[in-house]
Amino acid sequence: MASFTPNLEPAPDTSLQFKPKKPRITLQTPSSCPPNQRIQRIKRWRTQRDQHIYSSKLFQALRRSRRTSASREVHETADRVLAVLAKGTTRWGRAILTARKVTKHKKAKLPTNNRLRKPDIYRERRKTPAVERKLKVLGRLVPGCRKLSFSNLIEETSDYIAALEMQVRAMTAITEFLCGGTGGGPQPPADRLPSNVNS
Amino acid sequence: MSGRRSRSKQSSVSSITDDQITDLVSKLQHLIPELRRRRFDKVSTSKVLQETCNYIRSLHREVEDLSDRLSQLLASTDSDSDQAAIIRSLLMQ
Repeated sequence: MASFTPNLEPAPDTSLQFKPKKPRITLQTPSSCPPNQRIQRIKRWRTQRDQHIYSSKLFQALRRSRRTSASREVHETADRVLAVLAKGTTRWGRAILTARKVTKHKKAKLPTNNRLRKPDIYRERRKTPAVERKLKVLGRLVPGCRKLSFSNLIEETSDYIAALEMQVRAMTAITEFLCGGTGGGPQPPADRLPSNVNS
Repeated sequence: MSGRRSRSKQSSVSSITDDQITDLVSKLQHLIPELRRRRFDKVSTSKVLQETCNYIRSLHREVEDLSDRLSQLLASTDSDSDQAAIIRSLLMQ
């Protein structure tokens, strides 16, 4: 096997680069001071390093599994690797990981919702029913977030969106590699995914 | 126990200020490419939420498409172990 000295900066970045290289934030040491943690959380999923880690883990998982001929399997594997990388810090991540153990019959509505209806009087003064409806839809779209409070839901959504965008970037890069890198497929519109030019 | 929890939830809901709400909504707005251009206009909460849902759905669709293509590609390149080794070493750090 050819021995590559894996260099993160030059070669692998021939993959579609939607943003210039960002300084790598080390996520290992949880600093006690809040501004650092906030920066870590904001930069999460957006660094090249994170994307490379995800790409390699996803590729390994796909190679290992023999049932990757179904697109559903690939999708589930991609979601699972994403959730694992979240390291249990997000609700959507935990929901994805635990959902795989449960069969799909778990659609029953829990009756405990009635008890949580009491604060509605307070909520309706600030948010119209239309907004309430959309919040509910949003809660259904993000895994595991159906009954979250407003601020938690927004937090989870922000993280989920960033993770999904990274997932798209990484899977596109993997597809590029497998196509032989000669542009053997339609490329996703680069303007939709965030490019951090002005930051 | 859950009675206590709903009561504490009651107090936490009433303590969310309007400012916090608009703050969080604007933070969300910043993430959505559709709305990022209009950052300086007032975009209603309802519209931000709507665009968020649409964006997440479109991202889901993209991932679906990509996994579809990936599954086809993987089925066809399974036999090519040399290429796989090269890809692996390029992707790994």
